[in-house]
Amino acid sequence: MTDPLSRLGGSTARRLSRLGALARFGFGALRAATALTAAGRAVALRVAINQIRFTAVHAVGLVVFLSGILSFLVISQAVRELGRYGATDFIGTLIVIAIVRELGPLITALTVAGRSGTAIAAELATNKVLGEVRALEAMGIDPRQYLVLPRFVGGLVSVFILLVLFDVVAVSAGFAAAGFNGMSGERYTEIVLRSLAFKDVLLTVGKALTFGAIVGIVPSYFGLAVRGAPTEIPVAASRATVASIVGIFLCSALFVVIG
Amino acid sequence: MTGPLVFEQIPLGARAAPPLSLELPAHATVAILGDENSGVGTLGGYALGLEQPPAGRVRVFGTVIVDLPERDRLAFRRQVGYLPAGDGLLQNLSLRDNVALPLRFGSDASPREIEGRVTVMLTAVRVGAVARLRPSQVNEEERRRAALARAIAFDPSLLILEQPFDGLTGRTASELLEFARGGETAEGARRTVLITGQDLPAVIHRRIERVYRLTRAGTLELEPA
Repeated sequence: MTDPLSRLGGSTARRLSRLGALARFGFGALRAATALTAAGRAVALRVAINQIRFTAVHAVGLVVFLSGILSFLVISQAVRELGRYGATDFIGTLIVIAIVRELGPLITALTVAGRSGTAIAAELATNKVLGEVRALEAMGIDPRQYLVLPRFVGGLVSVFILLVLFDVVAVSAGFAAAGFNGMSGERYTEIVLRSLAFKDVLLTVGKALTFGAIVGIVPSYFGLAVRGAPTEIPVAASRATVASIVGIFLCSALFVVIG
Repeated sequence: MTGPLVFEQIPLGARAAPPLSLELPAHATVAILGDENSGVGTLGGYALGLEQPPAGRVRVFGTVIVDLPERDRLAFRRQVGYLPAGDGLLQNLSLRDNVALPLRFGSDASPREIEGRVTVMLTAVRVGAVARLRPSQVNEEERRRAALARAIAFDPSLLILEQPFDGLTGRTASELLEFARGGETAEGARRTVLITGQDLPAVIHRRIERVYRLTRAGTLELEPA
């Protein structure tokens, strides 16, 4: 019988080992990119564009909806409450720090992880179970180049595009909410622009790229980690989503420390 | 040993069984049959270096693929055609795109040349009419035909087929065999073909140069022609 401390150590070691494997997988995919031939690059690019269509274009409505509602609610409440104390200047801080810098990247990444991360993991796990990954290797095609790299690029580009969209819609919805609650458009614009610093833009871009990498790589790793039983497919999808969400929150916290 | 495909001391199936050693002569079609537990299903993977045998080695055109660096291993496999059991077609691509994929990824041919070659191959295996459909939208025979066309996309001189005729009629199986062999030359078939599986239709059995069977004891026996 093992004592609780040993069990805790064993579980931590397993998690660290999985993290190491995930890192190796990610670097392996990046290294595979350097070995792509011109012909392979064209095929991988076509797959990546398809990924961006599924991940970004098809999620536009959802992101616009979430961003609009969130921003409208937060700014409406803020204008009312802060207005009572004559502190409406803080609305700029609220929209820039709370929405553009923190909630925007977080909600966008969580949306993509929940919507597309699950799909990526399930798709790749199915590819593996049906012997398609083996068939690719037999044809001389590196699965990392054909399957993983396009999803990695798709994740990066999609999260970036959706985040820009989220922030534009959030600031616009905030504009509408401010007007709805009696604040002039000029004042709102002036407050927001005054609060927005270059560092905020830099942090937001950094988060978009980091979260995009997570939603591209983590589901691919879990999808390709299945061994061959169809029952592993839903397990892989579930694990991929949980791991992506945890990764996104951890990195978000890390960005707070850095920023 | 100089054949295009040589198995050297490969342990298969039963523990006490003697390891398999076999050389495939060039331009011949050879079948190795055995039941599910015989280990015959692993031969294709060993030959292509997709899996490493527990002992012994497999030489393809004199090269042990598993010993090559990863990048070279992938490139080398393009010299060998492979039809895996269950076809291995990518479900999210049409039959046409499945056949074109290895050429688009691994050849320097122009898109126009690739499209032309793919059209010729799809017509030859008689799936031209359903080429725009995905594997789930066509029947098993059409999937197998498309998978064979993909296996010979690079016009390899060695072809490995796993259970290629299961569930097909004798006539279709004969057609696929002829297509796999790639026509006749003075030395025999244009391609060297290895077929693995549990059994063969009688019509195919008669047309293959050598048919071996792995017995329950693990020995390899040549079946009478």
